[in-house]
Parts: sequence; structure tokens; C-alpha cells
Amino acid sequence: MPLLWLGLLLAATLGMEQLEGVLRLIEPDSREVIYRRDTFLALLVQHVMVVLVASLLAVAIGVGAAIAVTRPAGRDFRPLVGQLASIGQTFPPVAVLALAVPVLGFGTLPIIMALLLYGLLPIVRNTLAGIEGIDPAVHEAARGMGMTGVQVLRQVELPLAAPVILAGIRTSVTINIATAAIGATVGASNLGDPIISGIVNGNTAYVVQGAVLIGLLAISVDSLFERFMPRLAPR
Amino acid sequence: MIELFDVTKRFGDEIAVNDISLRVEKGELCALVGTSGCGKSTTLRMINRLIEHSEGEIHLDGQPVRTFNEQLLRRRIGYVIQSTGLFPHWTVARNIGLVPRLLKWPRTRIRERVAELMGLLGLPPAEFAAKYPHQLSGGQAQRVGVARALAADPEILLMDEPFGALDPITRESLQHELRDLQARLHKTIVFVTHDMDEALALADRLVVMHRGRIVQQGRPIELLREPVDNFVASLLGGVERGLKEAGLTRVSERMLPLGPRLLARERVAQTAPLRDALSMMLWHRVDRLTVVDDDDIPIGELSLRRLVGGRPE
Ligand SMILES: Nc1ncnc2c1ncn2[C@@H]1O[C@H](COP(=O)(O)OP(=O)(O)OP(=O)(O)O)[C@@H](O)[C@H]1O
Ligand SMILES: [Mg+2]
Repeated sequence: MPLLWLGLLLAATLGMEQLEGVLRLIEPDSREVIYRRDTFLALLVQHVMVVLVASLLAVAIGVGAAIAVTRPAGRDFRPLVGQLASIGQTFPPVAVLALAVPVLGFGTLPIIMALLLYGLLPIVRNTLAGIEGIDPAVHEAARGMGMTGVQVLRQVELPLAAPVILAGIRTSVTINIATAAIGATVGASNLGDPIISGIVNGNTAYVVQGAVLIGLLAISVDSLFERFMPRLAPR
Repeated sequence: MIELFDVTKRFGDEIAVNDISLRVEKGELCALVGTSGCGKSTTLRMINRLIEHSEGEIHLDGQPVRTFNEQLLRRRIGYVIQSTGLFPHWTVARNIGLVPRLLKWPRTRIRERVAELMGLLGLPPAEFAAKYPHQLSGGQAQRVGVARALAADPEILLMDEPFGALDPITRESLQHELRDLQARLHKTIVFVTHDMDEALALADRLVVMHRGRIVQQGRPIELLREPVDNFVASLLGGVERGLKEAGLTRVSERMLPLGPRLLARERVAQTAPLRDALSMMLWHRVDRLTVVDDDDIPIGELSLRRLVGGRPE
């Protein structure tokens, strides 16, 4: 399944020219129906890079924070982290962009920032749920047998929470693939470009091209998760 | 040897364990009994420091538990927890081998030890080694929990209702195993149970707790004969105490040498408890039994009158 979607994505990225006839039907009056300011391949790579960097950061920070506040030493910060992550989600990404641009300037940095904040909640929430959902008896046994804190974390908590954590990462990444498109408004060139430019110039064909590619990318990544998650998760 | 000196545990304002003192000699099996919530599990957990005591001192072989490294202390103490707590993502064999692995035993030695324990607890390795906990029945899971606690051959065992979910037959056979093990290996065991027959059958020392305090402790027979108050009396079986006591006394203690009379038809082993002899009399509607030794050779007789402690007729 993932191969099929990836194949479709690549075909659409490289072969958009071939669809000129179809796209012409949508926009019979425009002079140009294929977006040409950048190759679609370059836009796709940009898009993937932005999402990848933001997601890796979100995973590192989100999982790290959730682990930290479930240790005895960090327990006091548990409510705070839960709230911060929720706020990250309720804050509209556009607002994050608006606030980030004056500080970080135009380009890729503000959008990474926005995606990071936006993608944090599902990861933090799921990591907390995964770790806190472990049967207390298992936890008691692990400590009672003489495992150290690190051993409990690595051999018991993380493996048992892994399916839930991965589900959170999957949600986070999929949302961010779609959200990254708004980065085009602050000059980060990615698959959002054709969409924004299409809206500005009233060219629906551009919008369709961007939307189709983003959709295919999201589905491909999601099916990759689908394919490989059960292997990582025991039982 | 485990010693508790004036130990108290508070959770906030609530006192879970209130000023208890207790001494369990090496090789002794101490049973903690009492109503739910009276502090039995808390007492166990303070011994392996899963819970830190608020006041008093707890010593292992004369050394305060607080001076040990927590993890090293716990690896020396076998712990069977009330609700098994097996790791759901590990196989039975891996679960049992946990503590030896923490102690860095060589791989082959762990494998042999795990197989040995599985045999001991009636879990054939061929069938069970590769299973996951969710594939086990409640009783099988409890046996795995016991095997895990025994794995590194600890001097001290803390067992929190280890046989709670077992059928009477398996339960009895495990009680036997435990007693044999105890006789051979002289472990020091603290054992929590709600089953009074189990406590009476296994314990060298019986400790009755009530609302965080120890209300009475001593040999089971002492508590049966002289309970300090109504609570202890009713906990130990109320009106059935007579039968419980008969369960602790052997036929050989009451039998008389063979007399001139004809042998009674029904036979009872000299090692059987009086309770069994009484049951046989009731069942067969007789008032006399022939007592036999291990080779089924008659060595004496037991009358109902002697059984209940009366003088010979
Ligand atoms: N971690 C804890 N925090 C607060 N209170 C606790 C904690 N653990 C136990 N308690 C309280 O301490 C008391 C004794 O609990 P404990 O688990 O020792 O009882 P128990 O004798 O083992 O009961 P049961 O037979 O039901 O297992 C209870 O009132 C319980 O609510
Ligand atoms: Mg308990």
C-alpha cells in the first residue's frame, strides 16, 4: 500500500505537465495552468524537509518532556506540561507565524517553529497517556524486582507505551504535512506555494495541483506509519 | 532475619501502619493476616523499600534497610505481588529470568534456572516458556509470579497473596511445594494471605493485624487456643476454631497403643491431622479408627473420645 501511494505521489510530482489537458478544463481562461515558478520536485523536497525537521524536534521535545514529568523528580511539572501542550494546539498556526516572523524573519524558520508548537500536543498527550496507562502492578513489579529507573523506562515503560506514542507521532506528522502549506505565506517555498499563488491570482488549477500533492504526501506518510507500526509495537 | 522496631507509616494524615514490631527469624515463615486495608501490603513494601517507613527501623540481618542500595536490596529479596504484575510484552521465560538478568548471570545459567523453576511450579517449559502473560490463566500467571520471585534464589521472600487466584488443588500443591522448599532451603518468608487455613498450615509465626496495628502474634496453635480478643477469635474461624485446631494436631499425638480389641476397619495415617480422622469417623459413622504408619502397618488406635481430648475409656 505505501508503495502505491508513494508511486502516485512521485508520478504526480514529475508528470504534472502531462495533466495539462485535464487542468485546462478547470481553468479554461487562464494563460497558464501549470505552476512553473519552481519544479514540483523541489517544492516537495522542501515540504518534506520542513515537516521532517519540525517533527523530529517535536518528537524529541514532546517525548522528552513527557518522560521527564513522569519521573519522580519531575512530577511537579506534570500539570504545567499538559497545559502548555494544549495551548500549543489551540494557538492557530497562522498566529504563530505572525508572531514568529518579526523575530525569526521570513522563510523556513517561522514555519518550523509553528509546526513544532502545533505538533507537540498529540505527542506529549499520547506519551503521557502511554506511560501513565501502564498497569501499576507492572510498575510495582519492575521496581520491586530491583530495576533501576533507567531500566524501568527503557525495558518496561517505553516498549509498553510505544504503540500509543507512535500513534501520537503519526497524528502529529499527518497534521503538520497539511499545516506546512501555510508556510508559503511567509515565503517558505513548499507545496503550499501553488495553493497560495492560485488563491491570489484566482487560478484554481494551481490550487488543485498543490492540494493534490499535499494530499498524496499525507496519505503516503500515513500508510507508511500504518505499514510499519505493528512491527515496532510488541503484541 | 527480618526485624521491625516500632515501625509506622503515614500517608498524609492517614496512618497505614501503626507502631509495629516484628521479628522473623532466618528460616521462619511468618504469615500476616487481617481484614482488607489493615496494612499488610504496606508492611511488605516497607521491607523492600518500595515504600519508605515514616518512623522506626527495619533491619535485615541486623543492618538497617536504609543503608542498602535500593536496587541491590530488592534483587536480594524475592517479591510476589498481589496482582502478579508480569510484564505483558515479555514471554513467561523472560519474565521469570528478570532478576538473574539484572544480576548479570551468564545466559546459559539463566536458561537452566528458568527451566528448573518452571518444572518446579508445574509449568512445562515446552508449553509455557514462549507464551505471553495474556495467554495464561490467572493461576498460571500467579505461578509465573512465584517463579520470578524465586529465580535468583533469594534468602528472603515477600509474598503478597501469592496463591489468591488458584483452585484448591493447585493451591494445596503449591502450599506443599512452599513448605518443602522452606524445609530444604530455610528461606525467611513473610507471607500475606486472606485464607486462614493457608496461614495456619504454613506459618511458623502468625501475625494478626487490625487497622495498622499488630493485635497478636505467636505460633498458630497459641493464637487458636488463646486469642487476645474477639476480633482475633473470629478472624481465626470463630466457631470453627475447634476444627482448625484439629487441623494442626496430628493423629499420632492422640492415638493409644493397640489394645486387645479387634482392629477397627477404617484406617488413618499417623501423620494425618485430627481433622481428617474426625471427618472419617463422621463419614463412616464409626467412633474408632486404626492408626497406621507410613507402610500401612497398624500401630495404634484412635477413639472419638481420645480425638476430642477426653480420657481413655
Ligand atoms: N500509596 C498509598 N497512598 C495512600 N494510601 C495508601 C497507599 N498505599 C496504601 N494506602 C492505605 O493504607 C492502608 C493499608 O493498605 P494496604 O495495601 O497495606 O492494605 P492490605 O492490608 O494489604 O489490604 P488488602 O488485604 O486489601 O490487600 C489502606 O487504608 C490504604 O488505603
Ligand atoms: Mg494488600
